[in-house]
Amino acid sequence: MSRELQNLSKETPRIDALERVTGQAHYAEDIYLPGMLFARVLRSPLPHARIRGIDSSAAEALPGVRAVLHSKNCDVIWSSGDRHGRRRLFADPARFVGEAVAAVAAVDRHTAEEALGLIRVDYEELPHVLTIEDALREGAPQVFPEGNIEEEVLRFETGNIDEGFRQADSIYEGEFVSQYLNNAQMERRVSLAQWDGDRLTVWASTQGIYNCQKDIAHDLKLPLGKVHVICHYMGGGFGNKNQGYDFDLTAALLARKTRRPVRVEFTRHEDFIAVHGRWSTQQHYRIGYKKDGSITAIHLKAYSNMGAYLRSHGNLQGPENYSSPNIRSEIYRVYTNRSCSANFRSPPAPQGVFAIDSAMDEIAERLQMDPVEFRLKNAIQDFSADKKPLTSNGLRDCIRRGAEAIGWAEKRRQYSGQSGSIRRGIGMGIGTWSGGLGPSSAEIKLLPDGSVKLMVGVTDIGTGAKTTMALIAAEALGLPLESISVVWGDTDQTPYSPGESGSRTTGDTGLAVIEAAKKIREQLLTQAAAHLKVRREDLALRDGKIVSSANPGQSWSIAEVTATNIDAISAAVTTQQPDDGSKSGKTRLSFTAHFAEVEVNLETGKVKVLRFVAAHDSGTIVNKLTARSQVQGAVTQGLGMALREELIWDGHSAVPVNNYYHGAKPMTHPETPQIEVIFVETEEPYGPFGAKKLGEAGMVPTVAAVANAIYQATGIRFRELPITPDKILIAMNPSRDRKEAVALPPG
Amino acid sequence: MKAFANKNATSIREAVSLLAQHPGKALPIAAGSDLLGEMKDGIETPEVLVNLKTIPGLDKIRQQSGAVSIGPLVPVAEVAESQLLHTHFPAFVEAAAVIASPQIRNVGTVGGNLCQRPRCWYYRGPFRCLRKGGEFCYAPMGENRYHAILGGGPSFIVHPSDLAPALIALDAKARISGSSGDRTIPLEQFFVLPTVNVQRENILRPDEILTEILIPLPAPGTRSTYWKQMERDAWDFALVSVAAAIRQRDGKVEQARIVMGGVAPIPWRSHEAEAALIGRPLDATTAAQAGDKAMEPAQPLRDNAYKVALSRAIIRGALLRLI
Amino acid sequence: MKKEKQSRKKPAKGVTRRGFLTGMGTAVVSSAVLGPVLTSTQAETLPPTRPKGLEDISLTVNGITYSLAVEPRWTLAEVLRDHLGLTGTKIGCNAGECGACTVILEGKAVYSCSQLAVWLDGKKITTVEGLASSGDLDPLQRAFIEHDAAQCGYCTSGQLMSAKALLSRNLHPSREDVQRALTGNLCRCSNYNGIVEAVLAASK
Repeated sequence: MSRELQNLSKETPRIDALERVTGQAHYAEDIYLPGMLFARVLRSPLPHARIRGIDSSAAEALPGVRAVLHSKNCDVIWSSGDRHGRRRLFADPARFVGEAVAAVAAVDRHTAEEALGLIRVDYEELPHVLTIEDALREGAPQVFPEGNIEEEVLRFETGNIDEGFRQADSIYEGEFVSQYLNNAQMERRVSLAQWDGDRLTVWASTQGIYNCQKDIAHDLKLPLGKVHVICHYMGGGFGNKNQGYDFDLTAALLARKTRRPVRVEFTRHEDFIAVHGRWSTQQHYRIGYKKDGSITAIHLKAYSNMGAYLRSHGNLQGPENYSSPNIRSEIYRVYTNRSCSANFRSPPAPQGVFAIDSAMDEIAERLQMDPVEFRLKNAIQDFSADKKPLTSNGLRDCIRRGAEAIGWAEKRRQYSGQSGSIRRGIGMGIGTWSGGLGPSSAEIKLLPDGSVKLMVGVTDIGTGAKTTMALIAAEALGLPLESISVVWGDTDQTPYSPGESGSRTTGDTGLAVIEAAKKIREQLLTQAAAHLKVRREDLALRDGKIVSSANPGQSWSIAEVTATNIDAISAAVTTQQPDDGSKSGKTRLSFTAHFAEVEVNLETGKVKVLRFVAAHDSGTIVNKLTARSQVQGAVTQGLGMALREELIWDGHSAVPVNNYYHGAKPMTHPETPQIEVIFVETEEPYGPFGAKKLGEAGMVPTVAAVANAIYQATGIRFRELPITPDKILIAMNPSRDRKEAVALPPG
Repeated sequence: MKAFANKNATSIREAVSLLAQHPGKALPIAAGSDLLGEMKDGIETPEVLVNLKTIPGLDKIRQQSGAVSIGPLVPVAEVAESQLLHTHFPAFVEAAAVIASPQIRNVGTVGGNLCQRPRCWYYRGPFRCLRKGGEFCYAPMGENRYHAILGGGPSFIVHPSDLAPALIALDAKARISGSSGDRTIPLEQFFVLPTVNVQRENILRPDEILTEILIPLPAPGTRSTYWKQMERDAWDFALVSVAAAIRQRDGKVEQARIVMGGVAPIPWRSHEAEAALIGRPLDATTAAQAGDKAMEPAQPLRDNAYKVALSRAIIRGALLRLI
Repeated sequence: MKKEKQSRKKPAKGVTRRGFLTGMGTAVVSSAVLGPVLTSTQAETLPPTRPKGLEDISLTVNGITYSLAVEPRWTLAEVLRDHLGLTGTKIGCNAGECGACTVILEGKAVYSCSQLAVWLDGKKITTVEGLASSGDLDPLQRAFIEHDAAQCGYCTSGQLMSAKALLSRNLHPSREDVQRALTGNLCRCSNYNGIVEAVLAASK
């Protein structure tokens, strides 16, 4: 890396770490307003039902209840609840178990909860579908009159797929299945709304205050200026707090009706089913390859189970990670009567890469090629799948350095041909993450005393965005980090930011910060030139001082120039579409290669992850301390997805049955291995100081690496996630213990 | 959570009389690690909670002649850290150490662990199942990967306790106090199959509480252990667990008690496995045979056949620890 | 009763004009209600609201003794947050499964969501706010900052309290000791590596 960086690519503790470790960080649920009411939501117990009537009189008569909303007295549409606008705030019909049916505001949470039990809903039960298979069956019950398959199919095509298969020496086919799992962030849903005249303030738990503002204003038909959204601290979301949510609207409407501040609280059970999780998939791969190991064609036909509404795209990462001249991908989005599927950290990736990188390992094995060599040969190189040149590509460095760190060649040999019941294996996977840049805003004020106020509309959701923005400002201004105060998370006080999703904050808002910093420097140095009576071009800003290039060693403090200013030197910038290479026809991607070493007990089905190496090319790393945490956390989430996590629905009633933490089984302390993170800081021409996206890339190939390691250990290829002990045990003990289930039909 | 009255009992007599005064409306509570959760989820809606923690003297571990007495209010963490218990009853201590999480072990009690309700997701969820007075058990035709492979029917829950298999393997006795008097029974007889009572896992009447656990000091040559196989390394219930207590003499097994958790609606004593060991040396062959024998009566459901293989493996594994 | 209530809560004019009335006769709260002009405050008599069966207790939290009247169903976590303003203690699951609400009760780490306040009369409790009550950060807090042990920060208070309880009985824990002692504290940012490093650093 050739850039000389003062503040970046180092390990810097978060600027708000003190608040986080002392209990002073205030999350949405920590805000208490005078006269605040507590609201709870009643949810459909049925997966598909028309609501004939709702009698809320008993609930309304309960002492302490202040308002009840439901589909018969509220027809607000929650627009970001469904891309086609089909989702009402209170359902009718209800299309999944857990969909909101009514809400109660009361003087305390227990009263609100008791009132829910007094609401009488007259449901007309409708037939339902739960799985992709059910939904596609002829004559299946319809989630929407338009059918169970979303009309728009996600298609990608490059080259000539038929020709590609003709050129192949062999053709691989494989079917892969992944399950739904919940983001399971620690902070339950909560939203607090207060009206001040005709102006609404919402303390939201959101990844994007401006997304939230826009959605609330749209759905409640308010001017943007009348909606004020605040989110200072947020307890995790991993993609499930990107927009304005139904509970934000509910809080606002109940507050409007009661003329009191209203806080909507979710229980953990509700949180698991009422919002969304990762889309489950069925993926069928057909891959043509030659004897020399080159790939001639990749055909993916897949189904993504989107649940009851279309809340996200349902896409899958996979074919584009490999240099095949001929690719066809077709992804059908399927509606079912279950909780929605939408964004969860790198939404299309870990389940997609699990499939393609399992398939690639199988092909490598057929060719008797080492998986690392096979990927070095076939991984995406100079061009993206749509044949655009890449702005930079450190994938091969990631593969080589990761392989070296885990001791690939030696362990691969060591673990072949094991016997006994405890077996070990290593495996790998590769991934990409799109790196496009978008518009954002930032405002900087250089105050008379020389200190700086940086205003950015980010909400720090745990990624360290505030610190990242302050570091970028410090770097761009030539000032020390300590001189910068960040104002954030408040639509009244900060300019637009796109929301912390898609790993885009560092790039998008970072560029706006750089542009604002440039304007500040220019104004300051122009003023300094006049004030100090030196030539403007002889002045620069470095290490917190104005320095003279004409007289090296001569410097002035900033305050010397600004002290007599009555107000700050200000710069507010909105970047339009920053160049990310696309103007010159290029594609910008982040890259990663993951390596897992596992131990499998064939008798207990237990998989232990012994070591994990995650190598990442995300260009310049703004803050290596928080970046490493991001990758370690993402990998650990991926381990949970590979080995355990899955929301399970009862097949008959379509009721989710493990919607609580000990049932969902996220990873815990003792089973998390030390995750070694390697940053390959490739020279990247675009983005803030050459930084590319990172936060989501950390989870992209994790599942694939684990699955491939389990294959080496067991010799069994698991094509269905999660790879749980029961699956391993059944695979190790085929047919021996299968007896007829005791038949006791329900009902 | 529905409103209720909290009554702090100051004696066993007061506790059972409070329970008797509110038939069907009062429940005894110790640490509440389980019951509070049931109340939050609306599975239990008592009008009166009889708080047992205020009864003095029930939180002691006492060595007596020929036995150790465990008060039902002894926290699980104290069992896990007790040198006395570790010396005599390794299985008990090992079981205590792998319960839930440190926070739960710090407050959760021995009595509470024995009396906890099933973790079946139908029982815990919005299903009016057999155990909650409904018409049928949802497990056989439903999602049953964690359900019973032994002793199931008409309900297919598995008993979630870790301490119960260990204590039964150690031949513990339970003292029960009620408004009509006290009785002491082998702990094994404390638990009942769904064929006896489909709504409860034990014989406690509504006005009765557990007041003491007595574990006889083991005869010389006795060794015991507890193996809990979890899906997750922490805060998880057993997929399958096994407590084994073996007394050997002259190279042969003289007495064996093998009790499994996570496989049946009660802690499941495998007389078949025990019979496979008695009179024979404990070695890799007999340990494996014990596992095989234990699983002969197994009747897995659609998704839980893996428990059969797992049970065989950990019975063998636990026994091999005792060689 | 029902009818009276409805007539008292007559819809705003705009609603009627736009015809948002349903067959059930209740006003439809639609986005249109939220026009620029709000209706004036209507007189209404609200039913009485009084917590039932309050019991007097005293709690010593972070060295300060509070006298409180609590409902039997209030958990310690609720009382700390709703009534004592100590919102550093978080409620992640309210079921004793996540550890965000961990506090130290009489020297032991417990889930404050699973303790009824009415049981704790006379007890001593330390919350995250009590770690630095002397004005100086606890070594654990300093280490958490340096090792980036808090990502979103929602589990952090609980992790700190479990770590504090560990270090108060084991000054020099091994890595495995730390992992075991913090087992009951989930971190969904899954920052386990950083948390363990921080606790080990604080114990040196």
